[in-house]
Amino acid sequence: MAVQERLERLLNLTAALLTATRPLTAAEIAERVPGYPDPETSRGAFRRAFERDKEALRDMGVPLVLGLVDGTDPPVEGYRIPPENYQLRDPGLEPDELAALHLATMAVRMEGLRGAGAMWKLGGAPDSAGGTPVAHLTATPALGVLFEALARRSPVAFSYRGEQRRLDPYRLSYARGHWYLEGWDHGREAERRFRLDRIEGDIDVDEGRRFEQPPSQPSSRPQPWEMGEETPVRALVRIDADQAGWAVDQLGSDRVERRLDDGSVEVAITVTNREGFRSFVLGFLEHAEVLSPDELRGDLIEWLEAIAGEAS
Amino acid sequence: MTPGSNPRPGADDRLRRLLAIVPWVVGQDGPAIDEVCVRFEITHDQLLADLDLLFLCGVYPFTPDTLMEVLVEDGRVWIRYADFFARPLRLTPEEGLFLVASGATLMAATGADDDGALARGIAKLAGVLGIEPGESIEIDLGRASPEVLATLRGAVGDRRQVEIDYYTYGRDERTRRVVEPHAVFTAEGEWYLSAWCTLAQAQRRFRVDRIRGITMLDRRFEAPGHSEGPIVFEPRDDDPRMVIDLAPGARWVVEQYPTEQVEELDDGFLRATLAVGERAWLERLLLRLGPSAKVVDGAPSLARDAAHRVLRRYERRDGSRPAER
Repeated sequence: MAVQERLERLLNLTAALLTATRPLTAAEIAERVPGYPDPETSRGAFRRAFERDKEALRDMGVPLVLGLVDGTDPPVEGYRIPPENYQLRDPGLEPDELAALHLATMAVRMEGLRGAGAMWKLGGAPDSAGGTPVAHLTATPALGVLFEALARRSPVAFSYRGEQRRLDPYRLSYARGHWYLEGWDHGREAERRFRLDRIEGDIDVDEGRRFEQPPSQPSSRPQPWEMGEETPVRALVRIDADQAGWAVDQLGSDRVERRLDDGSVEVAITVTNREGFRSFVLGFLEHAEVLSPDELRGDLIEWLEAIAGEAS
Repeated sequence: MTPGSNPRPGADDRLRRLLAIVPWVVGQDGPAIDEVCVRFEITHDQLLADLDLLFLCGVYPFTPDTLMEVLVEDGRVWIRYADFFARPLRLTPEEGLFLVASGATLMAATGADDDGALARGIAKLAGVLGIEPGESIEIDLGRASPEVLATLRGAVGDRRQVEIDYYTYGRDERTRRVVEPHAVFTAEGEWYLSAWCTLAQAQRRFRVDRIRGITMLDRRFEAPGHSEGPIVFEPRDDDPRMVIDLAPGARWVVEQYPTEQVEELDDGFLRATLAVGERAWLERLLLRLGPSAKVVDGAPSLARDAAHRVLRRYERRDGSRPAER
């Protein structure tokens, strides 16, 4: 079928279903929308064409609703598009706000996310300003599903590291090149975060439920050595002059215990994840040293000795 | 790529766009065709072809008053009898996220004003989408000194050379070099500078957080002839390859780093082939992994030697413990 004819049929189908005050049966659709094969003579061809159109409309976000047609016996199913579900509420954007959003969509690349038509719905790009992208974010298909669940306040369920989790999704956050989902974990009865690309399989959205989101306490981004529930231990680490500036940038100057004359620094870190702490220290190679406590210093030495002593 | 740049869009793409164009034109008093083309990223010919089609569209019984009417005159366009398309289609979740996340990203990237047009635009959209602005979406683009970023942006804009004191993580060394900054961008959670490096005489990418010092120079440079893509790490053909066996707990390595080949072994173990650009980078990785990684082919003594080197630092004082404490 030619593109032109199919487009015409899709437009007429959308108009027909949007103006319908009750669900339209397949026969009614065939009668009211030109361009379909006659269901009387070629039932299969009509069904295939209609299925394909339905798929195309749903794919672009048109809310096609299936319902029973009143007064039919036996009951017959039909379709309509409720205008209140179809229409975008006017956000009332001022020209400068629209221009700023357009600039943002030009400056940010989110590979794999189908967002390109978004500006059109807001009234189109107000100018043809191009510009170099300043940010590239990764994206995963789960983002759309989770964003919708978050907006509707619907709980979600998914498998993570082989375990089934139920979560009230509070926010999507992007950090260190990855997307995370944060929310209330029903099993753990605490706030937890999950890396999106480690979620296994599909995400179930419990659309029948609504959760209450408590007012936010702005969460500070946890560091690798804080992402655990081990008994907190305060560790002191010396970092050589060459690396000190960078380390203090990363840690914040309030963690600096002492600045030495040779330019090195001693930083105090509260550790609740020993593995994360070890990785952090080893990232400095021989330019950092765990000073205390003995327990963590000993752990690190033992870890290194195991590697050093390994037979070749 | 925007769908508008597709030279032969299919019916679905054209429908998507028409369902946005019609409500916008309906709401205006005869906008200029040229403006419609710019706003909706469509060519003149394509727009006229799509408008032609609207004459044939409407609702049953397709009497003249139930068909849309399009008037094109003096370079302007009017659409009437299109009440059913008076409003655009709602945003899909992906589109909503794209808008809000793009806005939040640009705010984070430029340190934009909380009361500025962008913040206000995001807040209005969030209202329509049913999310809390600044609460539902959080973007952390990676740490970089605002002063270094500002200097680099200035240098990109003015095409001026800068001298940087740069720490090469992969080789664990510092060098001073003069570079010609072409672009500053953030990808995979880090800030990068793409520049011509006069020391290496090659195009290079630098991590902004590893620039330890920066000086703007007076010398200017010619505009670069090409633009930069998003790929951050590209293994070179002559980079050495290394084969490591990874225990189940270390499978994240293949998600985090580009691998050339991954093979499933028994018991959840993986055998991965990695391109190794720099020695220190690999040392860090192997020291972190410890017993979870075993080098099968490449540099068998690398991890052991690195472990000895770090241990020497502890031996100096071990037994006596940190004396000054």
